[in-house]
Formats: sequence, structure tokens, C-alpha cells
Amino acid sequence: MAGGVTDYAAISARVRAKSADLLTPQEMARLSEAPDFLSLFNSLKNTAYGPYLEGLKDKEINSRRVITQIKRKLADSYYSVIQMTPVQTRPLVKQLYRYFEIINLKAVLRGIVTVSAWNAEIALWDRVREVLFPLGPASVLPAQAMVESGSVATAVDLLQGTPYEEALSFAMKRYSAEQNLFPLEVALDLSYWRRLWAEAKKLTGSDREHGVRIIGSLLDMNNLMWAIRYRVYHKLSEEEIINYTLPVGYRVQDSDIRAIAAGADIASVITRLYPGIPDVNALLENPQTGLPKLEILLKRQILKQCQAAFVGSPFHIGIPLAFLVMSDLEVQDLIVLIEAKSSELPDDEYRPFLLKTDLLS
Amino acid sequence: MFFPEAMTEVELIVPSKDLLAVTKVLGNHGVFHQIDSTYLGLENLGPNTWQEKAASYSTLERRIQVIMQNLNLPEKYSGTSDFDSIADLEPLQSAVDRIESEAKQTSDQLTAEKKILEQLESQLHQLEPIADTNVDVGALRKSRYLYSVIGIMPADQVSRLETSLSRVPHTFFTLREDPKRPVVWLLGPRSNSDIIERAVKSAYLNPLTLPEEFEGTPAEISTSLRKAIETSKQKISELNGALAKLADTHKQELYQLLWDVHASRMIADAIARFGQLRHTYVVVGWVPSAELEPLTQRLKQASREILIEAIPIERSGHHSNVPVALRNPGLLSPFELLVNTYARPRYEEIDPTILIAVTFPLLYGAMFGDVGHGLVLAAIGWFLSRKSSLGGLLVACGLSGTIFGFIFGSIFGFEEILPHHPFFGRFVLIQPMHNILQILGIAIGTGIVLLTFGYLLNLYNAVRARDWGRFFFDSNGLAGLIFHWSFLLIFASALLPGFPIPTIVFVILAVLSVLLCVVFSEPLKHWMEGHYPLIEGSIGIFIVQAAAELLEKVISVFSNTMSYVRVGAFAIVHAGFTGAVFVIARLLSGGEEAGFVYWAVVVFGNLFVIGLEAFIVAIQTMRLHYYEFFSKFFTGGGSAYEPLTLANVQEK
Repeated sequence: MAGGVTDYAAISARVRAKSADLLTPQEMARLSEAPDFLSLFNSLKNTAYGPYLEGLKDKEINSRRVITQIKRKLADSYYSVIQMTPVQTRPLVKQLYRYFEIINLKAVLRGIVTVSAWNAEIALWDRVREVLFPLGPASVLPAQAMVESGSVATAVDLLQGTPYEEALSFAMKRYSAEQNLFPLEVALDLSYWRRLWAEAKKLTGSDREHGVRIIGSLLDMNNLMWAIRYRVYHKLSEEEIINYTLPVGYRVQDSDIRAIAAGADIASVITRLYPGIPDVNALLENPQTGLPKLEILLKRQILKQCQAAFVGSPFHIGIPLAFLVMSDLEVQDLIVLIEAKSSELPDDEYRPFLLKTDLLS
Repeated sequence: MFFPEAMTEVELIVPSKDLLAVTKVLGNHGVFHQIDSTYLGLENLGPNTWQEKAASYSTLERRIQVIMQNLNLPEKYSGTSDFDSIADLEPLQSAVDRIESEAKQTSDQLTAEKKILEQLESQLHQLEPIADTNVDVGALRKSRYLYSVIGIMPADQVSRLETSLSRVPHTFFTLREDPKRPVVWLLGPRSNSDIIERAVKSAYLNPLTLPEEFEGTPAEISTSLRKAIETSKQKISELNGALAKLADTHKQELYQLLWDVHASRMIADAIARFGQLRHTYVVVGWVPSAELEPLTQRLKQASREILIEAIPIERSGHHSNVPVALRNPGLLSPFELLVNTYARPRYEEIDPTILIAVTFPLLYGAMFGDVGHGLVLAAIGWFLSRKSSLGGLLVACGLSGTIFGFIFGSIFGFEEILPHHPFFGRFVLIQPMHNILQILGIAIGTGIVLLTFGYLLNLYNAVRARDWGRFFFDSNGLAGLIFHWSFLLIFASALLPGFPIPTIVFVILAVLSVLLCVVFSEPLKHWMEGHYPLIEGSIGIFIVQAAAELLEKVISVFSNTMSYVRVGAFAIVHAGFTGAVFVIARLLSGGEEAGFVYWAVVVFGNLFVIGLEAFIVAIQTMRLHYYEFFSKFFTGGGSAYEPLTLANVQEK
């Protein structure tokens, strides 16, 4: 316990102070009532995101630029939490942060394929750069060089010495044969989550208990959604679904994934795992609209799990992890809002996809 | 020292002919914080050529780096040449083209040959586990009833592959164990080949691919592969020799090219962010006001026709875009670090470094009051100060602990030596263990003073920012201060007999002020700022939010004040802790207050107390500052001051 106190006293105090900056459900509800994108932008300037938005000039105020600036706050949160995290748990937080690098890597690969498909002569680095998460020097990706290489094979060659080399080396053979990014992206996802889970399992004591709970919950959601999507959208076979998912998790067990892969009723599996989620059958009637809603409901379960981490002893990795996950979910909410307001979507089309406002009800 | 350094916004109109000279001065002087002023330029001048130049130099620089890598040359610059003028792109490009084409052919051949070698070695490596098998691999491929796959796969995926085939009859062998890339052999009925194929593919099992020319048993194929490997190695050695010759020939030229391109790119990058007019450029940025004069003189030396407009920025109003340069004496650097860990001050607000330099050691010392422990901590801090700025913090806290040790009459836990000493006895003012209620009262009193000071600082910041909504109606503004004091005085008037003012007066004041600073704070602030609608969102949400904030405010006023009890509590705990050390020492030495065991326990017990308390007290002190004190007046969120520096390009 003394170790926990000495390790976590400072970070716990700091993270609690930072978590006061997270938007409350009431603030999120108020933001969602902004009549248009510009009003939303002005309201956001009065929140903790303000300092990140104030530097934007009038002509830069567009949804993509604002989203990038908002992500910068998340990147800063990760950076400061990683700096303060005790040595024994830091690899876990660093690995969690790599999620954004995986997203960037996928964006880079998609960028290369898109350019090749268009047969464009100019490199689209500037366009790709706009959609990358602002990881800054924390990233090991030679993103610009990859984009400018113009070929997926050369770009993957540039990843030598990075944590992605191994996973992609196996998947590249399939890419060469199929000319489809799907095997590369699945390989990256599986490798990322395996490493993250392994880091969580390396922890001891209450770090392990809380780490496994939060990471496991994230893994549960992803694993479950993968299995469902592979079956419903991609119509993959049982053996493929099993190979493209993971046999670990906090609440979702391998038997659940295998049941979905083997053709069991998806709604009954979900209802058994998450009794609190209502009307799963209705959601799955129309997978096109139902599955994104199901994902939101699962994310709300994670949000509650994270909020619970703040209760009780504060001397464990659960609080920093929960704070980072909550910050990420908040950014996801804001992205929904920004995209919705800038494309002038009616309220009822985007509100079901907001995580936080649900906590008001 | 009390505020970030005064900044001046500088706008330069630079004639095109003096562009490079001016950029050079800005970069060399190292005080100019450049901001992107491209938006000030004319848009009808076409694309920003400097951006294109910067991109071209950048591409060229990468090409040179790749050539150097291919030629096994270390990346370095040549000589100390200055950058009086930006290097012409065309000659540089043709020089790079020339060397690249010379190196490329050999380098491409080498890469291709290395790939062949790698493939051959990999095939040989994969065959090793089945080298003793007397089976014709080609025949296996052609089997009528058996479907067989030999290959490498990710180790993590092995168990998943087996799971995925659990409903199909199959046999799975690991031919070579490897923590990352095991060689495996999967066999199943050909009638299930479609399922096995899907499983193999989705498990990323890469089947062993032997070229058609390799026939026979694994042993026979291995012999053929070894011969091919020898031939390939020979070729690689010859190609490496050719590259080494090329490297020797072009080494100096490449170093010079790299420097020219690198320096030119740095300048082009800076200029690309200038606003381009028809015959001039607009450069905008920030300079510390104290540095303005010397910079102006140097700029005028570089360009006679330059126009310089300097706009000193007052600290009133909001200035979120002004970079913040903190200039505190070196001694205060550990405290500046503490402040920056919380947030960088905004330009218009007070830099709390000097305040924290007083209050942090004060609160720390009060909780860690012991002459001996304080001196030990200061000594450790002094030792560490050569390596880390945190050492200075420990010295200050240790010395403060020493002073409080004299006031509390405690030295290494001995509570009776100092009070009875003829000289030091006069400094002992209060002993925590003997005056528990008084020490807790003093702690709360100190907290009230600090919190009130925090409110006053917030009022001062609001006045400077001319933010009158914040001044009057912020929860830490005037109404907040009145509420805080009314709340405390309700207790004082109710508990203290003979208090001159009736409690009801404070109750009324508290209710009125809390309405202003919490419930109607937002609408009132909006009203003062002329911002409509006064209430954003629905009335329902407003009421729910107001109720929640009201509850939070009441709790926080109480908890903020009571939080300072910990200062007194830790002073008492410190005395109690060391007292326990002496009790244990006496127990272990058989009731004697002498002997080796007694003194060993006393020494180690003291070291334990120093180690444990030094850390816990640091956390508590940080908490008191970050949570209670800073939250009253310090907003933070200022942007960093990052001056343009071209001078250190060579060092980089």
C-alpha cells in the first residue's frame, strides 16, 4: 500500500484536478443546444478547450481544424499523464496511447491507396496530415515519408524497428495478393490489443485489478463489435471470425465470441453479457443503424466503469486510465457535435450518438 | 517577477531585397517569437513560393539523407559556412540527381540482392526443422487426400488458429519453436481444404514458398539453397565494395550539399510564414519589450528601408495569443516548475511563482517541523541541486522545516531538549503534542488567510483583465468572497458567546451572495458582457445545473477551509510518529534508553520518518496549492514563448 501511496499520490492529485476540466453532462447538453457550428465553436472557447481554440484565425474555423485542436488537448493530457505515471505502469499507458498511432497508421495507408487509386501525381501529405491525430514527437511513424513513398509496400518497409513491423510483416503477403488494406488493419488491431492486454496482465495488486477492468472493458467492446460486424457486414466464416478476434476480455469471454462466430443469436448473447442494455433485438433488426447505436451503449458502459474508478482508494493506475479514457470519449462526443453542427444535421439524427448527455436522464 | 515578461507585438514591413538579411537577424538574435502572418499577404499573388521552396528543400534534404544512408555515410554537415544567401535550388538538385543516379543503380542492385539472400535464408531456415524428414515436399503438395500447409505464422496467433479449426479434423505440428515466428505444419482432409485455407489465411499463416526449381527431399533442397546463398553473398560483397568507392568519391560534396540545403530549408520555412505583398513582406511576432531596442537597431542595420511597428501589450484585457515568457531568478526555478506543472500562466494574470516560493516552504515546514529532519532534507536537497532543480525545492522546504523545528521544539524527535535549552528554549513557541487544539486552530486560520488572499488575487486579476463579470459574480469573485466569509462567520457567531453581530445578518449575506456567485452567476456575467441570451439552453437544465453548483459551492467552501487542518494535523502526527520510534526503541532495548539496539532503532526510525513524511508532506502541500489556493485565482493556459533561432542550426 505504501508503494501505491508514494507512486500515485502526485498523479492522483493532478489527475483529479485535471478531471475537473472534463465537461459535465450539463455542459455537454448546453453545447449540443448551440444553434449552429459557429455558436458551438464560441461556446467551446469558454470550456477547458478554449486555450486550444483561441489561436484559430477566422478563416481557419472549420470543423476539421477545430477537431484537430480539440484532439491536441487529449494529446497533452496523455503526455502529462505518461510523464507522471509510475515506472511500472507507464508501459500500459504508453501502449494505450498507441491507439492513436494505429489510427494514424491506418490513415496513412488509406491515404497511399487513395492516391494510387486516383493515380494522382502530387503527394497528398498535406491532406493526410490534416486527419492525423496530433501525436507530435511521441509518434514513431515516419508518416510523411510513408505517404510520399507512394506505395504500401515501401511505406511498410519504413516501419522497420517500430512496434508495427512484426504484425505487418505477416499481413503484407496477403496485401500483396489481395491489394486490400483489410488484412493489414486487422493485423494492426489484433497486435495492438494483444500488447495492451499483456501490459495490463503484467501489473500486480490493485493496479492489475483496475487496469484489467478498464482495459478489459475497452477490449470487450471492440471484440464484440468486431465479431458482430464480421458476421453481419462482412459475412465472414466462423474460422475467420475467430481468427480476427481475441480470446480475452473482462466481461466478454472467448466462448461468447465463438458463439457469435458459430451463428448463435447475437441479441441473446449481448443481453446475457449486458443485462442493462435494453431492446437489443430492436437494435439488431436494422444493423445499418442499430450497430452504431449498440456501440454507443457499450461505450456508455465503459464511461460508467471509468467513473466508478474514481470511487475508493485513489492509489492505483485505474484513475489515470479512467481519466484518459473519459477524455477520449469526451473528444468523440465533441467530434459528433462538431460534425453534426457543421453539416447542419437535425438534432434527432446525432443526439443518440452523444455519450455524455445520456447521463442526465 | 510578479507577472510574465512584458511583450511587444512587432510588425515588420521588409523590402523584398532585404528579406534574407532580416530573416538572418531575427534568427540569430533568438528573441523573436514568430507567428504565421501569411494571412496578411495578398492572395492574388498566387501560391506562396516560399512554401514551395521550403517543401522542395525538404524533399531534397531527405534525398541527400537517403543517399548518405545508402552509402553508409554518417549524417553531418560540412564546415562552418554561413548562409548569406539562400542556395539556388537548381544546381543543388542537379548535383543530387547526379550522385543519386550513380549511387542508385548499385544501391538498387544491392537491395534486390539482399532481398534474394533474405528469402533464400528464410527458406533454408524454414526447412531446418524438417531436414531429417525423408518426404518429397513436391509430392506432399500433390497429395490426393491430404491437404497440407507448412509455413511461418505469428506466435500470438497459433492457439487462435487451432481454436478456429476445432470443428474440422486436423493435425497441427510446431516444427520449430520461436517466440515470434514459429514454423508450423498443418494437415487435414482435402475435402475440408476450403475451411483450412480460410483459417490459414485469416491466421496470417504464410505458407512456405519453395521455388519450382527446388525439388526432392528437404535435405536435397537445403543443399541447393546453401549453394545459392553463397553465390548471393559473393554478389553482395562486390556491390558493397562498389558503394564504398562511391562514398569516398562523393563524401565531401554530400556534406556540403546537406548543409546548404538544410540551412536554406530553415530560412525558407521561416519566410514561408511571412505575409507576402507585391514588393514587400509582412513579418509579425512577439518580442520581450526589454529586447525590442537592441533588435530594432540590428534590423535597421540589416535593412535601411524596413518599417517597424511595435505595439506594447498592456496586461489589461484578455491576451490568450500573447506568448508567455516567465523570467524568475534562477533560485525560483523549482517553484516555476511547480507552477508550470499545474499550468502556464496567461499573459494578463499574476505569475504565482514568487507566491508559491513563500507559501510552499511555509506549509511544508509547518508539517515537517523538526530541526534535525529539516537539516537532513536540506542537505539531501543541496546534494541533488547539482543534478536537478528539485534539489533547490528540498533545500527551501528543509530549511523551513528546521525553522518550524525550533518553533515546535523538536530535534530528531526529541521533544524535551530544545524547550529546556537555555538558548534555544526561547525560540520554542508551541509544542504540537501539548497544544493540539491551538495548533489545529492556527492551521485553519492560516488556511482562511491564504484562501482570502487567493480571492483577492482573483479580484486583482479580474480588474487587470477588466473582466467585471468575473470580478463581481464569479464563484471566486467578490460575491464568492462575501459568501465564504459569511459562511464562516455564521459558525463563529453561533459558537462564540458574546459575538457582537447576530447570526441572522450573516445568514442573509450568505444567501444573497451565493445567489449572485452561483445561481445567477452565468446570466449576470452574460448581462455585464452584453451577451444574449442570458441563459443558454433550457430553463430545466439551468435549474438542475444551478442546484448542483450550489451544493458544490457550499461543500467546497467548507472543505477548502477545513482542508488546511491537515497542516496542524501533520505537525501533530510528526511528533506522534517520532514518539512511537522512541517507544519501540525502549521496548527492543529492554526498557533501557541506551545501548546499541536503542540507538540503532532511533536512527533507523528517524530515517524512516524522514523518508515517509518528506514525501507525504510534499503531496499534501502540493494538494493544498493546486486544489485550494490556485483554484481561487489562477486560470493558466498561456501559450509558450518559442523564439525563432537559426543560429543553432549547425549545433542541431
